[in-house]
Amino acid sequence: MGKKVLVVDDDPDVRLFNVTVLEENGYTPLVATNGEEGKNLAKQEKPDLVILDVLMPRESGIRLYRELKTDKNLKHIPIIMLSGIAEKSFLRSQKVLAEFGDAPVPEPEAYLEKPVDAEELAATIKKIIG
Amino acid sequence: MRRIPIGTLRQKTKHAMKIKKLLFVTKFEELGFDALQSLLSLREAGLEHVVFVNIIERERVAMRRGTGYSKEAEIRLRETANIRFIDWAENLFEQGMEVGAYIVVGNLVGEVIKAAQKEEADLIVVGRSQKGVIEQLYAGSDITELLHRTSKPVLVYKYLSESSFALEKPFESPILATDWSPASLRAIDFLKELKGIIQKIHVVHVADQKQLSGSAMAIQKTRKKIRAKLDEICQTFEAEGISASPHVYVGDPEQEIEKAARECQATLIVMGSSGKANWVERWLGSTPRNIAEKSDYPTLLIPPEKL
Repeated sequence: MGKKVLVVDDDPDVRLFNVTVLEENGYTPLVATNGEEGKNLAKQEKPDLVILDVLMPRESGIRLYRELKTDKNLKHIPIIMLSGIAEKSFLRSQKVLAEFGDAPVPEPEAYLEKPVDAEELAATIKKIIG
Repeated sequence: MRRIPIGTLRQKTKHAMKIKKLLFVTKFEELGFDALQSLLSLREAGLEHVVFVNIIERERVAMRRGTGYSKEAEIRLRETANIRFIDWAENLFEQGMEVGAYIVVGNLVGEVIKAAQKEEADLIVVGRSQKGVIEQLYAGSDITELLHRTSKPVLVYKYLSESSFALEKPFESPILATDWSPASLRAIDFLKELKGIIQKIHVVHVADQKQLSGSAMAIQKTRKKIRAKLDEICQTFEAEGISASPHVYVGDPEQEIEKAARECQATLIVMGSSGKANWVERWLGSTPRNIAEKSDYPTLLIPPEKL
């Protein structure tokens, strides 16, 4: 079984695309459709990598990212942010939340803006988890 | 209608009604980012999370009869909405807000209610265009249906460019039109949670002309009684540090509430709505509904608590 990669995205087309790229490259995809589901699955499965969208119902990727990066059991898991939201806005939001008193968190291992092509995604995953 | 003493109801409606999460239902033409920005003053009262909702009604993607629907049209509409939402979301994320989005094909009211339930939203914001009937983006019937089907407070925001109001601070000076019904008393709890952003509340009751019969003294007695009840509500606000003043009007509730809003230079009309409750208000829910649909003022309707 390949390394486990958790995909958290509310868009079914993006999920399908990510899962296909992962399977074709020998990884085992896990799928969540929103932040809450993603959090539960991350706790349960302890994936080797998370590919995380930002703008989602219920709980955004911004909040889930913080939760994962501040959880002592999960903070070592690398995260690729994959979103239509600009990286600049993501980083700014994390900075503002830290200013409001939330814990500071490190930057993600990679930030890809949608749409991404299959080769770029596969190469980024490979670079991070092999 | 059976009147219930205010004190009794106040105990029954003591749940905090903080607005932590609002659902911003938009078709873009009638409610834009400027409208959303004006609502961000609610952050001072606890707002943390905004969920954008865009419903693509089936007719907009339907093809001619019998030929199904156009996937291409759906994708185009979805992505157009997505582009706007990404832009808005970046702005809000950068302010430290939590943001979510729904872009769904379906029935407007049904999908809004579903999203509000899924998200456990505290407030639903919808727009109301004052364009011609054919171009109307939210038909009056949609607002009415939403009010009847949801137990969430609904803020009906008005078409900005046709309004004379600067909606920079919509919660700054509301009028609360009360008929003492449970819903309108529940509105007190809702407004109390906004104490950081309200400058002054005008508490208004519109007396029925039929109530004012008999001698001048009898009429003044009635006015005094109403005034005393309004004073009691005002004291509740004052105890929270919100300045409040009572006003008695007489006549047609719809016209008088609008008049009161004008005279008090209100920024918002707040009322209870009959919602799904079994009991019937004096206004039978028609006054809140009509004001929401016709008034120039943004209108916040608070349904009764689920019984």
